[in-house]
Amino acid sequence: MQLSIGEWLPAFFNPQKRIFWGYMLSSIFIAFLWLRLVKKTNLISCVKQIFDPQVWISRSAMADYKVMMINTVLMVILSPRLLAKATVAYLVFDSMHLLFDGRPFLSTILPQWMIALSFTMFLFLLDDFARYWLHRWLHKVPILWSFHKVHHSATVLNPFTVFRTHPIEGVLFSIRSALVQGFTTAVFFFFFGDKVTLLMVLGASVFTFTFNFLGSNLRHSPVSIQYWRNLERIVMSPAQHQIHHSNAKEHIDKNFGVALSVWDWMFGTLSLSKADEKLRFGLSEEQSYKLHTLEGLYITPLKQATEIFLRFVSRIPHFQFFKNT
Amino acid sequence: MKILLTRPGLSFSFIIAISLIFGCVFAKPKMYSSFPVTEKSYNGSKKDSTSYTGQMARHVLHNSLKKLAGKGNGKPNSALKAKMLSYYSGKDAGREIIDPTSKGDFKIKQTMVDQISKGKNLKGKTYKGIINGFPGQMTGPEVFEFMIDKASSSNKGFDPLTGYNYPQLISKFMMGAVFYSQAVDNYLDEKMGADNKPNNKPYKKGAHYTGKEHSWDEAFGYFGAPAHAMALSAKQAYGIAKKKDMKVADANGDGMIDLYTEMTYAHAYYAADSDKAGTKYMHTIVGAFIKGRQLITEANGAALTDQQRAQLMGYVKTIKSNWAQVIAEAAFKYAGSCYKDLEKLRTIVESNGDASKAFAAYGKHWGELKGFLMALETSGRDLGEAGVRMNRLVGFGPVLLGGGQVTGIDSNGNLQTGGNRSMGEYQVHMIKLQKLLGDTFSLKARKNDVTSNMAGLLETLGSSLAAEND
Ligand SMILES: [Zn+2]
Repeated sequence: MQLSIGEWLPAFFNPQKRIFWGYMLSSIFIAFLWLRLVKKTNLISCVKQIFDPQVWISRSAMADYKVMMINTVLMVILSPRLLAKATVAYLVFDSMHLLFDGRPFLSTILPQWMIALSFTMFLFLLDDFARYWLHRWLHKVPILWSFHKVHHSATVLNPFTVFRTHPIEGVLFSIRSALVQGFTTAVFFFFFGDKVTLLMVLGASVFTFTFNFLGSNLRHSPVSIQYWRNLERIVMSPAQHQIHHSNAKEHIDKNFGVALSVWDWMFGTLSLSKADEKLRFGLSEEQSYKLHTLEGLYITPLKQATEIFLRFVSRIPHFQFFKNT
Repeated sequence: MKILLTRPGLSFSFIIAISLIFGCVFAKPKMYSSFPVTEKSYNGSKKDSTSYTGQMARHVLHNSLKKLAGKGNGKPNSALKAKMLSYYSGKDAGREIIDPTSKGDFKIKQTMVDQISKGKNLKGKTYKGIINGFPGQMTGPEVFEFMIDKASSSNKGFDPLTGYNYPQLISKFMMGAVFYSQAVDNYLDEKMGADNKPNNKPYKKGAHYTGKEHSWDEAFGYFGAPAHAMALSAKQAYGIAKKKDMKVADANGDGMIDLYTEMTYAHAYYAADSDKAGTKYMHTIVGAFIKGRQLITEANGAALTDQQRAQLMGYVKTIKSNWAQVIAEAAFKYAGSCYKDLEKLRTIVESNGDASKAFAAYGKHWGELKGFLMALETSGRDLGEAGVRMNRLVGFGPVLLGGGQVTGIDSNGNLQTGGNRSMGEYQVHMIKLQKLLGDTFSLKARKNDVTSNMAGLLETLGSSLAAEND
């Protein structure tokens, strides 16, 4: 257990991570402002809502913490075997030379700040776009849903629910990151060489920083901050992500986006928030599931995925043989 | 009880710390010189057993041969060829030192090779195995004779039809096939065996040094460092080879540079070049040579015990691994140069400019790259799959503007070109070669690293290790 604490604790101090203490503080501050100024809540009930023991020490929350610690160890073990962004970057960088037969130098065309801005923005957009699609598939493809279910089995949302993730899903996320970061870095480096830099605040991309500083932690929280209707078509509000976690029929498979909701708008999965809508989080009734137990969080998804896989395989005529023996 | 135990420990480490501090301030850096005579059978008057004149004569032969290789006028020139061969395979007296020679106040003591050591040549010490990296499946000496022939009839050493730069190819391959190979595959290898050149016998009858003393000296000589290398910074040692910094070069202060002990040659020069980027190859290697020589000297003419030999082999290991790194770092650097040259050539060709100068620079860098890679083949240690891959990536010649490359040697001994490889593809080969060299030899200086900034950029993006949902 010592190893895991040592490994995840730095996330509190790492501005590239959502649970960085600075973002936690800014989120609390934003939640407070929202409750006081918009919802006109009195001071005491503000504090009660933000520090609600139901949010922080419920069975669901305890399961979040457990998963976070176990996964940290698992990811440390898995990471050397995962696709590295450097591998992707080298492959793309090499291929670019063949595609363009050499390396055309464009670094003099744009001023450095514009190269840096384009790189940072492109990375942010492609990353957010890739997150939208992977998330969508996690819901729509049955075998993937059996893993993503773990995240949706949270019945109470708190910022640590972000870690409530099946390790197989963690592997998929890391492949996604490697592809996006490796590709973007290689393409920009190919054309602009040493002039490519990431625009950073506190060592994190300026967009990541902004997204997190403006209360990304509230996505997984009971504080349902809404944006103006038109803004909610572009940027995902915390309330919109809470809709994604709602088990109401009309909310199923809505709002897959992360920082931007524009992808949902473009691909027809957008749902705007409604004021004071009561939401119930978690899986719908028909999803049989052992809530908040390690078995439910780790083993059940594997079993269900295997069943789906075997059912799929048995439908291929060639494999009928196995079924009959 | 605990306090009683720790107190003496504390004061002991205190004394050590103090003596280390004083040691660093007052101890002069050791030189590779003035090791006393320990050979019991010797009763002459010599007091210093250090001797590696033959090696330094060969360095001078190598430097001179490289100069000669760039003297052709584009037509067959039998006189030049004969002269080159006299530096390569001849032993004749009267050979002038063509390089290094005096320049301004950088005055050099010797002008003739024989003033350093008589009757030496390079061919006799050339690696005899087949060189896979060069067309024609020739042995080391055959490759040199082939290159000398071609160089003598080339225009200033460069052949634009193949992209071969003979002074560079000859020089860098010779650093491997003679100096490196002799040192790591002979003197630091079989001659360090218990029964080979033992320390309780003279190296040869009547010699004033023992078998082990002289074997060790010869290996040191081939590295090419000045005897006072430990007192020199990387920049200074490098500058000496460029005939700069007379004051630091002239260790004995006689106003002249002694080519035997005060010059930087070959591998030491490239080690210093790397070290300017932060590595410590030169001091690590020369330091290990000095410690090893002290160990042998301290045996005082007796055969080395197993324990002494084991310790000595520790120094050998350090020398060998660092030396291989020095060569690989140089190859790495020139792979990066070739990559950049290809980029430049592309720009020039696209704007219909005159590419001849840039092409010659590319050929020069390629010659250095190829020569160093061939050098790595001569250590007596098979590089295995990595070696095969390196040769495939580089091929037998630089990819030419029309896409051709040297493919082999025909029955008349002419280099043939053919194939159609794009320059972009060859750039990819240079990137892969850098990666392969970097991984195989754990390189640190990594000059002209094509993708270093990409790696740095990837690092700024942070790790995506944690399993975090959206
Ligand atoms: Zn989801």
